[in-house]
Amino acid sequence: MKSSRAAGWLLVVLLAGFVGVWQLQRRIDQQKSAVLVEQDQLAFRSPNLVKKLSLEYTPLMAAIYWTRVVQYFGEKHRLHQTNLDLLWPLLDITTTLDPHLMPAYRFGSIFLSEPPPRGEGRPDLAVKLLERGIAANPEEWRLYQDLGNVYYFDAKDYEKASQAYAEGSKNPRAMIWMKVMAARIAAEGESPETSYFLWLQVYETTADPAVKKNAEDHLKLMQVELDLNEINRLADEYDKRTGHRAARIGELVEAGLLKGIPRDPAGYPYLLGEDGKADLNLDSPMLEEKLMAQ
Amino acid sequence: MRHVWVVAANTFREAVRDRVLYNLVFFALLMMGAAILVGQISIGIEQSVIVSLGLAAISVIGIFIAVFIGVGLVSKEMDKRTLYALLAKPVQRWQFLLGKYGGLVVTLAVNTAAMAVGLYVALWSVKHTLNGSDWYVLVAVYLIWLKLALIVALAMLFSCFTTPFLAILFTVGIYIAGLYAEDLRTMQAMNLTATTTKFLRAISYALPNFENFNVMGAVAHSRGVPATLVWQDTAYAVLYAAIVLLGSAMIFARRNLK
Repeated sequence: MKSSRAAGWLLVVLLAGFVGVWQLQRRIDQQKSAVLVEQDQLAFRSPNLVKKLSLEYTPLMAAIYWTRVVQYFGEKHRLHQTNLDLLWPLLDITTTLDPHLMPAYRFGSIFLSEPPPRGEGRPDLAVKLLERGIAANPEEWRLYQDLGNVYYFDAKDYEKASQAYAEGSKNPRAMIWMKVMAARIAAEGESPETSYFLWLQVYETTADPAVKKNAEDHLKLMQVELDLNEINRLADEYDKRTGHRAARIGELVEAGLLKGIPRDPAGYPYLLGEDGKADLNLDSPMLEEKLMAQ
Repeated sequence: MRHVWVVAANTFREAVRDRVLYNLVFFALLMMGAAILVGQISIGIEQSVIVSLGLAAISVIGIFIAVFIGVGLVSKEMDKRTLYALLAKPVQRWQFLLGKYGGLVVTLAVNTAAMAVGLYVALWSVKHTLNGSDWYVLVAVYLIWLKLALIVALAMLFSCFTTPFLAILFTVGIYIAGLYAEDLRTMQAMNLTATTTKFLRAISYALPNFENFNVMGAVAHSRGVPATLVWQDTAYAVLYAAIVLLGSAMIFARRNLK
């Protein structure tokens, strides 16, 4: 009886002790965050050294490093920080440890190539990463698609984009549109229709929610661009017919050029600006997206 | 041969009694944790991380058992003086060694097989299906087991002539050196004399090449392993382990047990 009571007291004391430790640690964390100088660190920058130190467990280490890439990128994104200095070294180590880790090439190139704040804005490094991926995995035609996308969207090098799609289309498993894109980009360079189609491919083929959301955002922006072009074309048509520029979109509807007031992907009606050009509604969240993309 | 079986069966029973298989609980928890966590903290590597983590865990846990139990197989019997009672019976020293070795290798086979089942359960829980390429994992598990069998042989060899602590150090040292055996050959590209190059080359072939048994990278990406490599690795492990066991038997036969 006496010993069970003592054990009970001991348990209470232990619990109280741990509550004290927990509370103290929370206070220490608060104090430390006030004096903490944010510093990104990477103990080993040599991929080959990390590979040697990994003994025979390089695939597991690659998975750990890839997770670190995702966490690093996600944290920077969350904090709206654009200095992604460790992104390339981490991807370099990851792909040296496991040259067949496809997500590291496919998602890593997106992280590297997209302009800030979406990514690091280094399409040159994205190209380097994808070329390394292609050299290690020549049978993966999707890497050519990604390379073409980086050249097309971020490097704005349409000749090389066309070459990448053409090279990838030689793979018997490649989608037929790769060949079509190669020809179209070679002939036209950049066009909203081509951009829309390419983002649609990313949207439809990715299984990852984050990449899908990114593609969806781009598709919405592309849709806005296509809509604005179409409204401007109709406004020009109205101008030709009536001899004056429409001041409101409603005038285009009244003239029978539009069936109703068109709305952007967020559901806000488009406007005609003072210059008579179509634009997004000031209340539309798409406006911020568009400005950010520019 | 019957004596060898008896010793092996007792070694297996002893390992089970010593709760060696308790590591399976740790492995199960690790795999469950990984299966739940990995999809949430990374992108696109659910399957490969389950396979590589599972195989790495099977390998590391197996190495711990192979080294620590392997070294103790002989030394513990001598410390407890049970060896003397055993050798007083019509059991040759080499039979005792072979039986001990066989017992631990069987223990490792049971342990490795159980962990492989756990790995498949984790894989199934992530993918909700298993396809043809997932069976390559079994090949990787088999090659890990071959590697462990070789490590047990080395641990026994060292424990035949030195203290348990040094035997552990030597075994781990040879294991790590064996992982870099191929690098010794590629060092020829550096400015080395012809004699040094030849020496390094000889060492690289003399060391047990543990990289032979490493197919984790291929299997993690559902890539197949050539059947030729599997049988060549099997032959390599059997031949190397036989050489090491022969050496152990020779040393143990000459050892003064008084």
